[in-house]
Amino acid sequence: MLADWQFIGIFLALSPIFPAAPVIANWLLGPRKPNPLKQQTYECGVETVGDTWIQFKVQYYIYALVFVVFDVEAVFLFPIAAAYDQLGLFAAFEVVVFVLILAVGLGYAWSRGALEWT
Amino acid sequence: MLTFMTFFPLIGVALILLLKPFNRESDELIKRIATGTSIVTFILSLVVLGMYNRADPGLQLVGRAVWIDVLNIQYYMAVDGLSILMVLLTTLISMLATAGSWTGIEHQVKQYFVFMLLLEAGMLGVFLAQDLFLFYIFWEFTLVPMYFLIGIWGGARRVYASIKFFLYTMAGSLLMLLAILYMGLSNDTFAVPELVAGRSAFAAAQNWLFLGFAIAFAIKVPLFPFHSWLPDAHTEAPTAGSIILAGVLLKMGTYGFMRFNLPLFPEASVTFAPTIAVLAIIGIIYGAIVSFAQTDVKRLVAYSSVSHLGFVMLGIFSLNNLGLQGAILQGVNHGLSTGALFYLVGVIYEKRHTREMSDFGGIWRAMPIFSALTLIITLSSMGLPGLNGFVGEFTILMGSMGSEALGPYPWIYTAFATSGVILAAIYLLWMFQRVFMGPLDNPENQALRDVNWGQLAIILSFLVFIVWIGIAPSGYFALMDETVAALVRSIGSAVVAMP
Amino acid sequence: MNPQSLLPSVPEFLAILPEISLVILIVAVLAYDRILKPAERRRVGLLAAWGSIVILLITVGLWVLFREPEPNRSLVESLMWGGMIRNDLITLIFRVMFLVAVAIVSLISLDVPALQRGEYFALLLSATIGFSLMAAGSDMIMLFLAIETASISLYILTGFLTDDRRSTEAGIKYFVYGAFASAIMLYGLSLVYGITAQTNIYVIASLVAQSGAIPPEINGLFLLATVMIVAGFGFKISAVPFHFWTPDAYEGAPAPVTAFVSTASKAAGFAVTIRVFAAGALGAPNFDSEWWAMLVAITIVTMTLGNILAIFQSNIKRMLAYSSIAQAGYTLIGLVALTPDGSGAAMFYLLMYVFTNVAAFGVVVLVSRETGSDDMQDFYGLSRRAPYLALAMLFALLSLGGIPPTAGFIGKFFIFKAAVDAGLWWLALIGVLNAFIGLYYYLSVVKYMYLYRSDDEEERIPVSRAASVALALSVLGIIYLGIAAGPAFEWTRQAGAAFFPFSG
Repeated sequence: MLADWQFIGIFLALSPIFPAAPVIANWLLGPRKPNPLKQQTYECGVETVGDTWIQFKVQYYIYALVFVVFDVEAVFLFPIAAAYDQLGLFAAFEVVVFVLILAVGLGYAWSRGALEWT
Repeated sequence: MLTFMTFFPLIGVALILLLKPFNRESDELIKRIATGTSIVTFILSLVVLGMYNRADPGLQLVGRAVWIDVLNIQYYMAVDGLSILMVLLTTLISMLATAGSWTGIEHQVKQYFVFMLLLEAGMLGVFLAQDLFLFYIFWEFTLVPMYFLIGIWGGARRVYASIKFFLYTMAGSLLMLLAILYMGLSNDTFAVPELVAGRSAFAAAQNWLFLGFAIAFAIKVPLFPFHSWLPDAHTEAPTAGSIILAGVLLKMGTYGFMRFNLPLFPEASVTFAPTIAVLAIIGIIYGAIVSFAQTDVKRLVAYSSVSHLGFVMLGIFSLNNLGLQGAILQGVNHGLSTGALFYLVGVIYEKRHTREMSDFGGIWRAMPIFSALTLIITLSSMGLPGLNGFVGEFTILMGSMGSEALGPYPWIYTAFATSGVILAAIYLLWMFQRVFMGPLDNPENQALRDVNWGQLAIILSFLVFIVWIGIAPSGYFALMDETVAALVRSIGSAVVAMP
Repeated sequence: MNPQSLLPSVPEFLAILPEISLVILIVAVLAYDRILKPAERRRVGLLAAWGSIVILLITVGLWVLFREPEPNRSLVESLMWGGMIRNDLITLIFRVMFLVAVAIVSLISLDVPALQRGEYFALLLSATIGFSLMAAGSDMIMLFLAIETASISLYILTGFLTDDRRSTEAGIKYFVYGAFASAIMLYGLSLVYGITAQTNIYVIASLVAQSGAIPPEINGLFLLATVMIVAGFGFKISAVPFHFWTPDAYEGAPAPVTAFVSTASKAAGFAVTIRVFAAGALGAPNFDSEWWAMLVAITIVTMTLGNILAIFQSNIKRMLAYSSIAQAGYTLIGLVALTPDGSGAAMFYLLMYVFTNVAAFGVVVLVSRETGSDDMQDFYGLSRRAPYLALAMLFALLSLGGIPPTAGFIGKFFIFKAAVDAGLWWLALIGVLNAFIGLYYYLSVVKYMYLYRSDDEEERIPVSRAASVALALSVLGIIYLGIAAGPAFEWTRQAGAAFFPFSG
């Protein structure tokens, strides 16, 4: 009984090493030559102006949500496409229904102005 | 027939509600329809009386149909000697109370009369239902209209009184519901005659079941110590509400004891008879003594009800012919006398807007006809021979005297109960003296006018029955003789068979 | 793989016809919303209401005309779509409840300006799909998906009034509690899967029934899973001690949503709870099982606490929230009786509760729209301001309090009867005492409406035709179920038998 669990024990013991190792190695091996440029938030790029805790434009979230439509579509279409030959006509019909439902969602979001950036 | 009579008031309700769509709504018309409906219902109940066969002890005019067949719940209406007088009393009192509210109700007239008619239908249903489930529905249903009658058209503390009334009654009836469930399940029927026949199925638990029913009914009666809702409800209710409350609703309790407790649990009835008789006697004496202390006429009459209902309970639990017959008749008597007294109080309250005895005095001089009629009714309430109260109380006392159920010395109960009669005479006469006798010195009282024809007609209707029962009670006894005798026999045989 | 096996049979297709129709209706509602001019917005609601009534007629029509779902199907035959759902009478009756609820709720939300949006009605309908699948689901995965479908819709609906702080707060609160409860339940379900390696509850039940199927050393783990699942289900039916969200969410949510959550969502929760426990998926349904004792304790506490806390509320929605907790307690009595009759009684109770509570909240919606608050004081003198509203509320309250001749009385009667029948007379006694406490606060609303006076008695409360139709329907339901309960109860009783496929 206990033997079944030993793998988990080993796994638990080993798993912290993997994320920790690169950090530690970096700390051990890396040269330390600080200069003001390196201390900046961005080594390359523009200095931030004002408070960094600003609100994102809400459109970002809506874009993200609309993206889910395509995401889910892709996730489900791939396996069906792969097994298309064995599934037959009915499955094709089901896929059409599925895509239609997603399309309606997209159309609705579009007509509500979710895709406009103003 | 019974069904038609029970639901006839609902036709009146429908008519009243239909007035508005036809734009004929007026208070006058509503009052006419309501009174007309209750008069027709009374006539229907006389028809029922005509069809009633007094020689048959069993259920008559049976109307029966399956209602919820899964649980074998039936729609089962019938009348017998226990209920025929109650039905007549209900229709009579409802008619008089409806007619008597012609002047007293000033606002929300439509709702008032709708509730009155609903109440009448509910009360008739209670007395006629022979299926426990149906009975329970009617029983609960009467609460709602009464709650509103007290709560909307009542006196100053109406809200408190109506809620107290509702919750007290409800508390009891929920326990009854459990008892009903238990019995219904043990026999797979809720019909009372079948349950009586299959009594053995729940005989083991009968003491508990008896209590379940008894508490519900005792609250309604009210038996001491469950009486405390009554003075509030009676006092705060509008006149017609008090009349119906005293006249009919309280009888639902005593009727319940006779219809359900005695035949369903005869052994338990015998077991508990002495206890209940003692409580009844405490009620008789307590009610009488507290009546002394009242300054409000209506409250006095209310407490006198506690006392009178004590007699009825004593009669029932004498468990013999005389006691039960006396109890039924005394129930009717109390309905008539106390109902009439409440009506009289209402009449004078409408004129003077006070019920304090100290505000009155010497009314006789201002209103001689009214006062004379009041005197007769007061006398009937205290049991003067020749009037109805005497017949009932005397029969009950005889019954308790010879009761085997009350142990070896039943005369002790009788003796205490008799003292209640004497006390009643004292407080009622005292009340009468303070209100009607003496000098007419209050200027407001001097301006009082005597009763009008309508009021006179209502009071006289009460009086006809009061005198009729007083002089010739045999016709009334004959209506219930057979049924009561059968009931007593069945209790007797059950008790003999008791191990 | 045989391609033919993917083609659904006719019964399989009919089994999800209501859900398919609901999806089509959602699409139609969303499309219609985009076509309409802003002035005609209330028509979206009309479409949703009529659509759900049509679906209701289809569902009931299938039963009346074609006996579908066929009640005599064996368990295996009634399991469809690979055992994901079970199409039986239970499913049918619960669907009827949900569709009635969604139709009436749509009608009462029609004229609330803030709710006249396509999304609102679409979410109501998608929640209905979730409920419907909850009632049908016989597989843990299906159940979880259905519960989430319903819950997520409800979270959004609860917070639908984004300009209203209380609504937003209620939405967040409901969401956080709900997500937490879902997570715990999911953990419980996964433990059960881990122990039995099965997801279908009926398969699990037959496994669990075999002695030795669960080794004694993991009995504790199984019990832990049960506790977690009870927590999740208890959340859905707002049983104490998982009830904390209820008053806040009910108070903050738009009143029609509250009506929906308190009826349809609760009924769906019960559908799942009764199905899982009665089937015996978490141990045989008898009085010796550990979960039975747990449920009895929950039942008692739920009734009592709900009733007692309801007494002290001064906000009508909060009062109804606690009352709905108490009502859940009564319904649970039907479950813990563990008889087909008991489960049937619980279903009947839920059916009547849908009509009753929707009526009560319908009145609250109309009154609070006029007065702008949910305070009990708004109800002072309502019988004079709006006699018909007061009458509808009166019927609803009498039904909640269990006074004949309303449906609530019959419902309680059946429940208590089932309890006494199962030998649990003491539980019935507790229920009866609770019913008495409940009366007190229901009665005080009646008191406010009929016995108290207020200064605004002259101001009439406008009632739109849609709302009056909705209220009339629910009051008719209350009275019909109260007077002619026979057929409906026969129906639910038959369904109740389907909960117990393994006994007898």
